[in-house]
Amino acid sequence: MAELLYKKLVKQYRPDLPPALDRLDLNIRDGEFIALLGPSGCGKSTTLRMTAGLESISDGQIVIGGKVVNNTHPKDRGIGLAFENYALYPPLTVRDNLAFNLKAHGVKQAEIDKRVAEIAKYLHVEELLELKPAALSSGQKQRVNIARALIRRPAVLLLDEPLSHLDAALRVKMRTEIKRLHTEQRFTTIIVTHDQLEAMALADRIAVLNDGKLQQFDTPLQVFNHPANEFVAGFLGEPPMNIFAVKGDSNRRLVVPGTEFSLPITDFVGRLLGERKSVRLGARPWGIHVSQTPSEVSVPGTVSVVENLGDETRVGVRYGDMLLMASTDITRVYKPGSKVHLTFEDEDLNLFDEDTGERLTA
Amino acid sequence: MASVELQGLTKFYHKRRGVENLSLDIHDKEFMAVFGPAGAGKTTTLNLIAGIVTPNSGTVKLGGRDIGGLEPADRNVAMVFESYALYPQFNVYDNMAFPLRSPKFKMPEDKIKERVTHHAKVMRIDHLLQRPIQALSNGQRQRTALGRALVRNPDVFLLDEPLSHLDAKLRHSMRAELKEMRTQLGTTTIYVTHDYLEAMSLGDRVAVLNQGHLLQLASPDDVYFRPASIDVAKFFGDPEVNIFDATLKTSGGSQISVQMLGENIPLALPPDVVQILNEKHTSKIQVGVRPPDVRIAPEGDKQAFHATIYSFEPLGTKSILTLKAVDGSFVRALVDGHLTFEIDRRTQFCIDPHLLIIFDGQSQKFLARSADSIENS
Repeated sequence: MAELLYKKLVKQYRPDLPPALDRLDLNIRDGEFIALLGPSGCGKSTTLRMTAGLESISDGQIVIGGKVVNNTHPKDRGIGLAFENYALYPPLTVRDNLAFNLKAHGVKQAEIDKRVAEIAKYLHVEELLELKPAALSSGQKQRVNIARALIRRPAVLLLDEPLSHLDAALRVKMRTEIKRLHTEQRFTTIIVTHDQLEAMALADRIAVLNDGKLQQFDTPLQVFNHPANEFVAGFLGEPPMNIFAVKGDSNRRLVVPGTEFSLPITDFVGRLLGERKSVRLGARPWGIHVSQTPSEVSVPGTVSVVENLGDETRVGVRYGDMLLMASTDITRVYKPGSKVHLTFEDEDLNLFDEDTGERLTA
Repeated sequence: MASVELQGLTKFYHKRRGVENLSLDIHDKEFMAVFGPAGAGKTTTLNLIAGIVTPNSGTVKLGGRDIGGLEPADRNVAMVFESYALYPQFNVYDNMAFPLRSPKFKMPEDKIKERVTHHAKVMRIDHLLQRPIQALSNGQRQRTALGRALVRNPDVFLLDEPLSHLDAKLRHSMRAELKEMRTQLGTTTIYVTHDYLEAMSLGDRVAVLNQGHLLQLASPDDVYFRPASIDVAKFFGDPEVNIFDATLKTSGGSQISVQMLGENIPLALPPDVVQILNEKHTSKIQVGVRPPDVRIAPEGDKQAFHATIYSFEPLGTKSILTLKAVDGSFVRALVDGHLTFEIDRRTQFCIDPHLLIIFDGQSQKFLARSADSIENS
C-alpha cells in the first residue's frame, strides 16, 4: 500500500460561493487509518470523491505513493472504494462478485483464482464464496464488500460511511471487525463519517472538518482531550461537553451572572485567561465531580434533573438558561432539589476564546 | 383522573401484526415509556389510544371509561409527532393559541393569553412568543409543539419519538430538559421511543414491545438489571450485553457455581440466586454480563479468565475492549479511557458473580440476579 498526501487541496463549485474544500493539507502515512469527520457539508465527502477521481480538483494536489494523480484516470489511481450501500451483484456468487473487476480488467483466470483465494482467507469469507449475497448477513456482506475493494490491491482503501445504515448493535460489532481487519492488514484507509464514535474507535488519526476547513488532525485521544477549538470540543464526545459563557469577577472567580455558578480561578486557569474578562468554558460530563459536601474549590448548585441510565447516572444542575450535566457511576443519592457541590479538575477544563472559539493554551 | 387501560388490544393491518393481545395499565399522572425496535407496535399503540386506528378486538379505557366509540377529537388526548407539524405562517404565540381558538374550545382571548403564557413558561419559550417559527432552533420548535399540545389541558399526552430526528448532541440535552419539565406537566404521558436511553431516563415505567407483543413492563432499573429475557437485555445498553452459555456445578451441599468460557473457574453464586435456581430445578442456563462489569485482572489472578485482545476502540472517556476467551467467545468490556491495550496481547479478566444476570438456557427467560448487586448504591 502507499502513503497519501493532500497538498492545499481546493474544491470550488461556484466562484460566488465559499469553497467546499479550502486548502486541505494532510500527510497520511503508509498503513495508517484516517477518519474524515464532520457534519454534513463540511467537505469530507468532496475530499473522498476527489481522491477517487469522481470529482475534479479545483486547485492543489493529491499524491498517492509519490505520484501526483490529479490527472490520472480513476481506475489507474490505485483506489479501492467501498460505499455505504454494498452494491454487490445479487445474481452472482461471492466468488464471482470478488472476481468481477479483475475479469473486467482482463486478468488471467489462474491469477484471479489465486487472488480470490488469498483475499477470502484474509477477510475470513472462504466459507461464503459459493453463496449469493442474499444469503449473507449484513456483517458478511460488509466483509465481502471490503474484500472486493481490496482484491485489486489498491494503494488506498476508501470507506464512505460504511456502517451508517446498520442498526446500533450491529454497527458496534462491524466497527470492531473493521478495526480488527485493519490491525491485521494495515492497509492505508480513509473513512468518511459523521459519527464521532466511529471515527474515535477506528482511526489512528482523525481529521475534523467544518465548512470546508480542517479544524484539527490528531489521534483520537488528543482530539478528545485537547480539542483545538470549540467546534471540535462540541462535535466529539457523548454525552456532549457542557459549553457556556462565564465572566471573571473581582473576587477572582468565574461566574455565570445571575446564578449560583461561581468557580475560583486557579493559577492554571488564571494563566489561560490572561487579560480576558469573559470566556467560554467547556467541561465534559465525566470530568465534573459531584459531591454532597463543599470544598474550597467547589461550585454550589441545586439538582434540577436526574437521569438513571443503568450503569451511569447523570445529574443536571441548572444555572439560568444552562442545564449543566455531570456523569457519575450509578448512584441513587441525588434527587431534584438536592444541594450539590461540583468540582472541576484543571485538566478537565477547557477555555475557549469567545470571539474565535480557539481553545486557550498556556 | 386519567388513567389509561388497554385490555387485550389486537390490531392487524391485513396480515401484518400491529399489536396482539396487548394489555397495559397506565396510572394517572404516570410517564410511561413505550420502547421497542422498528415494527414493535409502538406507534400502533399510540394510534389506538388516540382513536386514529380502530382495534380488531380489545378495549381502551380512559379514566375507567371505555372510549372505543369516541372520535379522536372527543377523546381529549393530545398527540405530538416527530415532525412537529407547526404552522410556519404563525409565530409561537399563535401556534400555541391555535387549538384554543378552534370551534371546539372558542376560548376568549384573555383566557387564551393566560394559558399560553403559563405553558410557555413551563416550556421555557416565554421569551420567544413573538418569534416566527422559521426563526426557531430545532429544540425551540420541539418545545413549541409540546406547548401547543399542553394548552388544551389534555387528559393524556401522547408523544411519538419527539427527539428522534435531532442530532445526537441535541438529543442528550433535550432529553434532560424534557425530564426536567416532566415534573411540571402533571399529565398522564405515553412516550414512544426506540432509544433505550430515552426510555430509561424519562419513564416512570418502561413497556418493552417487540413484534406486537409486550415483553416486559417494569421500572427502568428492573428493565436494565433484571431484563425479562435475553432479547430485552440486548435492547438496553451500549455496547450490548455479553451472553454466554454456562453450566451449573453443585459442590459441597448448598453451594452452586457457574462455569463458562471454556475454563475451570467456578464462580460461586450468591445464596439468594442459589435459592431461586434450586426452586426452579434449573440445569441449563445462559448468563448475561454487561460490558462495564467485565474487569481487567492483574496477571496471575487464579480466579480470572484468560483471553487475548481482539480489538481496542477508544471512545474518549471510556474504551471498548473486545477479548477473545479460551473457548473462542468474544467478550466485550467497557474500560477506563486512559488505559491502552495492544492487539493480540494475552490478558486476564474477572467477573463478579453478584452481577451475573441468569437466564433459562431453554426459554431464554430471566431467572435470577442477586439482590445485593450495585443498584442500591
